[in-house]
Amino acid sequence: MTEEFEPTIVAFLCKWCSSAGSDLAGVSRMEYPPNVTPIQVMCSGSVSPLYVFSAFNRGADGVLVSGCHPGDCHYIKGNYYARRKLALVKKLLEYVGLEPERFQMSWVSAAEGQKYTRVIKDFVNALKPLGPQTKLRRNS
Amino acid sequence: MDKILAKKDYPQWLAKLASYRIYAPRKKDDVWNYELLTDPDGDRLEEVMTAVPAKGIVFPQREFFFAFAEKDDNGAQINELLPEDNPVVVFGVRPCEGKAVTLTDLVFGGEFEDPYYWRRRNATTLVGLGCAQPPSPNCFCLSVDGSPHSKEGLDLLLTDLGETYYAEALTKKGKKLVLEGIKLFTDPKPEDRKMVDKIQADSRKKIRRELSLIDNVPAKLKGMFDSSLWDDESMSCIRCGICTYLCPTCHCFDMNDEVETVSPLSGKRVRTWDTCQFPDFTMHSSGHNPRPDKASRLRQRINHKFQYFVEIWNKYQCTGCGRCISLCPVGIDIIKVVEKVRDHGA
Amino acid sequence: MVNIEDLKEEARRVLKEGKVKYIIGYERASDSWKANPVFLRKPEDVDKLVWDPTCFHNLVRFLVDEKRRKAREKPADSRPVGIVVKGCDSRAIVILLQEKFFERADVFVLGVSCESSGVVDERKLAKKTTGKSVRKLDFGDKQNFIVTTDDGTMGIAASEVLADRCLDCIANVPVVSDRLLGGKDKRTVARPFHAVEKMESLSQDERLTFWRDQFKKCVRCYACRSACPMCYCEECVVDTINFAVSADTPAEEKAQRIKWLEKSPVDSENVFYHLVRAIHLAGRCIDCGECERACPVNIPLRMLNKKLEKEAKELFGYDAGFDPDQPALISCFKDGDPEDFIR
Repeated sequence: MTEEFEPTIVAFLCKWCSSAGSDLAGVSRMEYPPNVTPIQVMCSGSVSPLYVFSAFNRGADGVLVSGCHPGDCHYIKGNYYARRKLALVKKLLEYVGLEPERFQMSWVSAAEGQKYTRVIKDFVNALKPLGPQTKLRRNS
Repeated sequence: MDKILAKKDYPQWLAKLASYRIYAPRKKDDVWNYELLTDPDGDRLEEVMTAVPAKGIVFPQREFFFAFAEKDDNGAQINELLPEDNPVVVFGVRPCEGKAVTLTDLVFGGEFEDPYYWRRRNATTLVGLGCAQPPSPNCFCLSVDGSPHSKEGLDLLLTDLGETYYAEALTKKGKKLVLEGIKLFTDPKPEDRKMVDKIQADSRKKIRRELSLIDNVPAKLKGMFDSSLWDDESMSCIRCGICTYLCPTCHCFDMNDEVETVSPLSGKRVRTWDTCQFPDFTMHSSGHNPRPDKASRLRQRINHKFQYFVEIWNKYQCTGCGRCISLCPVGIDIIKVVEKVRDHGA
Repeated sequence: MVNIEDLKEEARRVLKEGKVKYIIGYERASDSWKANPVFLRKPEDVDKLVWDPTCFHNLVRFLVDEKRRKAREKPADSRPVGIVVKGCDSRAIVILLQEKFFERADVFVLGVSCESSGVVDERKLAKKTTGKSVRKLDFGDKQNFIVTTDDGTMGIAASEVLADRCLDCIANVPVVSDRLLGGKDKRTVARPFHAVEKMESLSQDERLTFWRDQFKKCVRCYACRSACPMCYCEECVVDTINFAVSADTPAEEKAQRIKWLEKSPVDSENVFYHLVRAIHLAGRCIDCGECERACPVNIPLRMLNKKLEKEAKELFGYDAGFDPDQPALISCFKDGDPEDFIR
């Protein structure tokens, strides 16, 4: 039986909401796929497009950026900036031929452990049929 | 050894060179460059000037030196990555590019031979195509000890006689190349040689630009290090690097370790082209930069080509191809700059 | 066409009055058919000025240099720098003002309107003359040019050699100026993003192949970056120069320092560089086309930057380079910004 492809997801999670939400999923023993490499950032608004490109360059199969719901940002406005910046990033990546499913954004609050697991499960299922990411991955 | 090849037999000659990796000028998106031919069928040798000169084949923009890998217990494994020495042949090389290769040979040879450069160089046969007309409006090879049918640096020189090429084998490698397809070649008649001599002589008259009377320039430059000329001439420079990247004689490089895996550590040491026109080319690790402005960098480029190289090797480090003039986005013209140096204070 | 004598008169006047340090304009070398940037310091230099469809350079790039130069000037000269700008170029000044790169008083803008014409695309012209060297270009009436090559003269319709960005121009009249010459009629373009729409209509694989083939050609000369007035960062993402390294810095630390991309011109690093540059220009690129013009290997960079210009307009209603008081695209937001892509 051939080994099934397990995608690697790099997730930029804002400390105050999404990262806390992922912690809640953890302590509540909710099951979800172990494919995520979480990176905690202070705010989704601090996620530079460079992080996203770099993650793909280093071989990530999928990149997730998750932050607080609009109106609930710990820094008031950070997630609004993220919403704009990352919309542009998404459009640009799609334009140069990357599969649109590979880059996703979500709003996950500190109480939404369940939502976090659903986001990850769905992401993994969307990535599995796409196979490993080769389009932006570093080649030598 | 002089032979004649019918132009229509050129693809058949290429077909006989299956043991070589063949490069020839190809056009893509309106830009000519030397490309590896995978299918030489129906090929035509174009008389053009490529954007990237033939130096890119013996001194590629990126090459590996060695691979390193961390071993289990505090050791490291280093494997030298010498380039393959499969034979390579480049067709359509302009004589100025052949001459330029003799200049980079000086830099990478001598007391400290660069094994990476020489492995490629020794495996490469350069087939020049003489310039019946100047391929660029900015050609000035005659002014820097070159010529449109110069043989320097080439292994074989083809002169276009209309329906045929007159092939002059200049080295053992060039001869070998002809022998591979010897059945396609015929012996030249005396009138062929006469035609070649005429074409070669005529081609000299067609070179449109000249940079004359520059014997005093090396000495002049020595005294102009602090001149305000450099500031004036470099005002419109945007320090893009095109002039030096695409110069057939420029050879500055950078070395980097490209890490592939972090734990255990492994990667390769890589050499890439670099240019004195980039602001951080001379940035020291202390943060000091002796060439922080465009004036000093333009001065460096001109001095290197017309003073330092002359002092060391008694040759100009410029073959008059005109690429830097044609491709400069703001029209900085090396001929005009050197003329200003020549006439400075006169 | 703008009357060149009026432009010269204005330039002469400001130089005579000592109002500006120098004026950045266009001149033509005696043996050239194209204009080149020129720096006029004395009133008598003004006769060098030209204004015609070969004035394709965006001179605002030199205002960036001026700021650096000013920092080293002793004694400091606080007079503004004069500059001749086309409509597109003037938008670059607006961006730099918006970003507080310099003050409005630091620049004296001599705006010239392209009216209904524009500038020539050298590559299109070379194609028309099948590679024969152009000796002279006459602009006769604005619809038809006359090219002189070694083989004689030929007539060419302006629309066949004008730059693509001029054919789609939405800013033919300078949007900021201290003196404005030429007609003030603004052009309208029905579909300014038609080239981007065409690319978007291709399949994902077709787009991938297209961009991959283009970025493969890149020699990482950074001419695109150098030519762009908006790429003024002292330290660019690609220049990892400011890492303090001493004799004791362990190898592992050196190996793991942030190096976003390798210097090598391999496909993945080339695409990374271009994506980073494009995203850093989102809401800032004003389509002067210099990046594409400077590129020695003809990568269609405008098509990349234009995509984000289109998204800025369509997603956020944002137009770059018209209002210096506008906030930057990504440092503002609207409550109604689209979030259909966010789970």
